[in-house]
Amino acid sequence: MAERCAVVGVGQTHFAKRRDDVSMPGLLREAIDRALEDAELALADIDAVVIGKAPDAFEGIIQPELFLADALGATGKPLLRVHTAGSVGGSTFIVGAHLVQSRIHRRVLAVAWEKQSEGNAQWGLAGGRSSGIGAGGAFAPWIRAYIERSGAPEHVGWMVAVKDRKNACKNPYAHIRRDDITLETVRESPMLWDPLRFLESCPSSDGACAVVLTDEAGGRAAPRPAAWVEATSVRSELGQFPGRNPVRPQAGVECSADVYRLAGITDPRAQIDVAELYVPFSWYEPMWLEGHDIAGPGEGWKMVDSGETELGGAFPVNPSGGVLSTNAIGASGLVRFAEAALQVRGLAGEHQVDGARTALAQAYGGAAQYFALGILRSEPT
Amino acid sequence: MSVAKEDLVMTHLVSLTYRDTLPPTLNRFVDGLFDGRIVGHRCPSCRRVYVPPRGYCPLCVVTTGPDDEVEVSDRGILTGFTVITPVAYYGQQATDPFVHASARLDGADTTLVGVDITGVPHDQLHMGLRVRAVWKPEEERTAEGITSRGWGGVTTFIDSFEATGEPDADPKDYQEHMF
Amino acid sequence: MPADIGPTDIAVVGFAQMPAVRRSIETEVQMLVPVITEAITMAGIDRREIGFTCSGSCDYLTGGPFAFVQNLEAAGAWPPIAESHVEMDGAWALYEAWVRLLHGDIDTALVFGSGKSSASEPLDLWPQQLDPYHLAPLGVDPASLAGLQAQAVLDTGRATERDLAEVVARSRRNALANPHAQLRGEVDVDALLAEPYVRQPLRRHDLGPISDGAAALVLARGERARQLCERPAWIRGIDHRTEPHLPGLRDLTTSASTALAARKAGYDGGPLDVAELHAPFSVQEVVLAQSLGLPEGTDVNPSGGALAANIVMAAGLIRIIEASARIMDGSASRALAHATNGQLLQHNLVCLLEGS
Repeated sequence: MAERCAVVGVGQTHFAKRRDDVSMPGLLREAIDRALEDAELALADIDAVVIGKAPDAFEGIIQPELFLADALGATGKPLLRVHTAGSVGGSTFIVGAHLVQSRIHRRVLAVAWEKQSEGNAQWGLAGGRSSGIGAGGAFAPWIRAYIERSGAPEHVGWMVAVKDRKNACKNPYAHIRRDDITLETVRESPMLWDPLRFLESCPSSDGACAVVLTDEAGGRAAPRPAAWVEATSVRSELGQFPGRNPVRPQAGVECSADVYRLAGITDPRAQIDVAELYVPFSWYEPMWLEGHDIAGPGEGWKMVDSGETELGGAFPVNPSGGVLSTNAIGASGLVRFAEAALQVRGLAGEHQVDGARTALAQAYGGAAQYFALGILRSEPT
Repeated sequence: MSVAKEDLVMTHLVSLTYRDTLPPTLNRFVDGLFDGRIVGHRCPSCRRVYVPPRGYCPLCVVTTGPDDEVEVSDRGILTGFTVITPVAYYGQQATDPFVHASARLDGADTTLVGVDITGVPHDQLHMGLRVRAVWKPEEERTAEGITSRGWGGVTTFIDSFEATGEPDADPKDYQEHMF
Repeated sequence: MPADIGPTDIAVVGFAQMPAVRRSIETEVQMLVPVITEAITMAGIDRREIGFTCSGSCDYLTGGPFAFVQNLEAAGAWPPIAESHVEMDGAWALYEAWVRLLHGDIDTALVFGSGKSSASEPLDLWPQQLDPYHLAPLGVDPASLAGLQAQAVLDTGRATERDLAEVVARSRRNALANPHAQLRGEVDVDALLAEPYVRQPLRRHDLGPISDGAAALVLARGERARQLCERPAWIRGIDHRTEPHLPGLRDLTTSASTALAARKAGYDGGPLDVAELHAPFSVQEVVLAQSLGLPEGTDVNPSGGALAANIVMAAGLIRIIEASARIMDGSASRALAHATNGQLLQHNLVCLLEGS
């Protein structure tokens, strides 16, 4: 029987296009210090550090966690660097949780970050070559296929873009916080990767997120309510092969099925109070609602259209503003788990979903081929 | 005493050179391209045809080799696309919007990803369009763009794909092999 | 099941490596396909039984962001699998898989590591791993740093240049019996000492070679390990520890983190049949052996170690494979395998292996 794992501290940096007010160590410590303060613990209390980020070409340093060992408080401790593309923040959380659940450590610090202003993310995504397609270019054909197959009206993507940026106005750490955004401003923004427009796409952010994970005793002794890790799961599939369906990847379907099963969830739409899903491009909200069986085939966009995924709706998605408002690439997956934790701890402040007790966190990466999901609860079961 | 922001930022330009060795599998593929032939590998186990050939079938996890070579057509179906507006970054040379499309060649089970479609207005691009390769003249073909990791595609042999004028493909012929 | 083997006991039950070469003409995935298949075959399981897969590699080594993604094509990732990856040597992928197996809900895990150092110039590449504010701009390369370490060691009097040459000679001699090693042969210590320095006091042969290669192993838990293998190599303990990055902040003549990791892994200083130490520079083998306090009579790097074959991102995993091989063939009962990450032994993993 695995040890229970609790989230007792969450810390985020203020995300921005350029955090040139801090060095990389400074950026990390901003998030780490906030998480430790939340947990009322010190670095000396941490047994091990798990760290994740996107490809090192984004900052130009190979395995930067090595030079950051001091800033992470990792000297004398185990340090694991996870790298699973865009899902990395989620798998970082999961690897950290496993260390507690298997009773190897009692308190683990999970950190994920990106200081991509120090490099150039578009250059990185292009592999340093000309005519890069960016992440949006890879996903756009699949998004087009979703729109055609589902018959979704074009304004659905714009609605997600507006919702997330307005939600972000209630999140003091978010990067893009635009209260003035409307469907019209989204529709009129430049086309980047047809059919995705500029305002339907995530920003490029600098920032970090840190989470303190403890065992059951640590969760019960925490100064503020803990979030309990009910279930986690990871799944990966090949990125390109004959017969692949990247619009509704099988790995995503199986990953959510696994995490629901482990958490005893039979009706995700009814039994999950809030979801933080990795939506870097607007249409991924309806696509993941379907891709993780929260909505039936062709029904995801209707949840958006009806307002159900608004902060005050029946199934709030990304009350934090999501990746559309903040995308420090390596951090974003962990931010989903951190925000899910804040929700069930009742500590999400202005973007709190009332009565949230069960939250879904999801991160994906690569050619929509890597998935890391988790269910967090207010009470252990 | 405060420090000016420009004094806090140091530019460190790094240049790293990598030597990419084409495996025999890709060398033979390149030989075919010079001759205007597109040659893939058929998996001996599941019989699927991979273009470009990888030297293995990732589904069956078995190696494939010269004995598994199969020539495919240079005509096929446009199965997916987007139009990309270039953004500036170090090394970027593209300035105008360009098409990034997938084409399933007749005889292949995989798609060629990252091909350009020419001769079709962007707003008329659609899945199912029958297309054919627009080859570079023989004397202009070069292997310089081929890498062992798949970047660069076949663009140094085939400039783009253009519409053939045939009726659109039946969705049944490409729905399972779009991406 | 014997009384001393429980459901959280995890063992190596299968492994494979390709011979390390100066330059492979195949892609990294092509190298991995037969290696992974061979490891699974040796373990005697069906690919579909594998409960978790974890790999180690380095994007910058391969030469592009997200480079590790393509390696998934060798891992049988369809239908979807539970899988993860570390931007570290495969030894840490093994660590993550070991942690995952402790949950008790799955019985087997696949681990692999790979790298093609031939694609770049190591002395140009690895400076990018250094502190970008204080070290990288100086242009110090790994061999220069190791040279500083070597000089510091010589200055303590705990080793001489001859000792370093003897490490190299023993490595090459041991490698004669290792079909996967790259540099092997009988070399005369005086002849080695007559060679010019490349980074005083280090000579060319004091540096591990440039190698391409891949390795994989299969872990199994408790009862399942027993079913699969006559004599599994049980992981009795495994731990890893980090030190500060800047060379000036630590004593380069000892490896405090290795000693700590060994202690935490449960090494009590007792007899060992074999110690496979991941030392890409000859002086580091001396440092590691001294810091671990290896007993007299321990066979150090019978495989030839990283001086005979230095597949970056797999060399640490291969130390564990080589130690496991000797447990599994009955020639050893207790083995210690070590892996290092970063330069100047900044981060170290120790794995204790036993036959039952």
